[in-house]
Amino acid sequence: MSTAASLHQSRKRKNGVMMALCVIAACIGLAWLALILGALLYKGLAGVSLSVFTEMTPPPGDAGGLLNAIYGSIVMTIIGIIVGTPIGVLAGTYMAEYGRFSKLTTVVRFINDILLSAPSIIIGLFVYELMVRPMGHFSAIAGAVALAILVIPVVVRTTEDMLNLVPNALREAGTAIGAPRWVVIRSVAYRAALSGIVTGILLAIARISGETAPLLFTALNNQFWSSNLNAPMASLPVTIFQFALSPYEEWQQLAWTGALIITLTVLALSIFARSLTGRREDK
Amino acid sequence: MSQMLSPDMTIAAEAATKAKIEVKNLNFYYGQSKALKDITLSLPERSVTAFIGPSGCGKSTLLRVFNRIYELYPRQTAEGQVLLDGQNVLDRSQDLNLLRTKIGMVFQKPTPFPMSIYENIAFGVRLYEKISKAEMDGRVEQALKRAALWTEVKDKLNASGLSLSGGQQQRLCIARTVAVKPEVILLDEPASALDPLSTAKIEELIDELQADYTIVIVTHNMQQAARVSKQTAFMYLGELVEFDRTEKIFTSPREKRTQDYITGRFG
Repeated sequence: MSTAASLHQSRKRKNGVMMALCVIAACIGLAWLALILGALLYKGLAGVSLSVFTEMTPPPGDAGGLLNAIYGSIVMTIIGIIVGTPIGVLAGTYMAEYGRFSKLTTVVRFINDILLSAPSIIIGLFVYELMVRPMGHFSAIAGAVALAILVIPVVVRTTEDMLNLVPNALREAGTAIGAPRWVVIRSVAYRAALSGIVTGILLAIARISGETAPLLFTALNNQFWSSNLNAPMASLPVTIFQFALSPYEEWQQLAWTGALIITLTVLALSIFARSLTGRREDK
Repeated sequence: MSQMLSPDMTIAAEAATKAKIEVKNLNFYYGQSKALKDITLSLPERSVTAFIGPSGCGKSTLLRVFNRIYELYPRQTAEGQVLLDGQNVLDRSQDLNLLRTKIGMVFQKPTPFPMSIYENIAFGVRLYEKISKAEMDGRVEQALKRAALWTEVKDKLNASGLSLSGGQQQRLCIARTVAVKPEVILLDEPASALDPLSTAKIEELIDELQADYTIVIVTHNMQQAARVSKQTAFMYLGELVEFDRTEKIFTSPREKRTQDYITGRFG
């Protein structure tokens, strides 16, 4: 009786200690996030004005905005997604549907996982060699290709995972009614996995919209308005990089504001992605 | 041991009906392991046949050979013959999608497609028939009536199939199967995930459907086999132990193993 009671007491104590450690660890993790967000809001909000969205990046010492950088980021992200998503979704579909039991799938999954965690600067160098050097100049299209290469592994992974979550019973049911395989995939499997696949694409957008290194080697930067895909193009991350390192106060302020814009965009996308997955789990 | 129906069968009126499915010397393998051993039996047309036996006896495997759904997975092979109206469905030249429109299947867990109730039924019909919206409406209504679900869902045909209760979902799956006008319906433990009331409804439905379809039901539940089927096959460890009129199997089985199983001595 007394041993049972003391055992219970010591377990309670251990439980208390473990819980305290876990809470402290969680707080340390969250504190950094809160500090970053706080600093961004504090420094960034001060510079938010209409001119940020209507004026070009200024020369040192002048007032200006981030319009060309925002535009460049949007254009290259959209092209990257348009190029990368179909490849990623189709590859994921092959892995989860057609090649579920094949060796090729195992190999592709392994390589894809490596690509997923590859430093993005290497992707930038790769595209530099592949496109920038042969073309002889930096270009927005090379930047978009680098971003597309970053999109592919994210979308492949989520598409495969989400399709694997679709119960086999559902595929069997589609097959048993006489539907050919591609109809089962299109009308049953995709439909059941839709919100998950869309979430993967949203997360890929979130990932590439903040990438700097691959753009430094490909799209470089542009101080002026340019919608020419065959020429260097500005982007928010690269502009932030350049402005934040500069000694000019106006540039530093714009860098803070740009960082705030990216962070809030990514935050909004993540919340949207969350709400999509959440809805699926509710069902 | 004879795998054919016993001579008493001739007394019954349905003995006159021809065989819809004839299985001859069927062997089935999961990789190297043999799951069905030399099965031979014939299932009469427009009648309910039950497969019973303990878990792992091969009854579901046998069912899954009839529409070759096992081919979705690698390393599963069948040898022998399964004749549907005299045509071997195991032939390489057999068009699988067409075969599956002739042999429908309902699974253990209800599997409504992630779409509306209406679309769940129209989906299968649309695969092989081009019909007008009005005709499709008629087909959907007819199928839902056939599955005794119409009165419950007629006002919410656009609601998701997933919003229905388990029993309703299973009837939706039966409606979906009936809508493509199959000749044979395979039921793989269709009521094992349902409550007693839904089970009773499904059984009633099976009883009505046998006027038009050849039905094969796999069940764990011996009472269910006794209630719904005309013939029962008892399987054990991949072998067909005994196949006879349901009455005979449950009152005076020929084999001791059958006797032991139905009296609950094992399984």
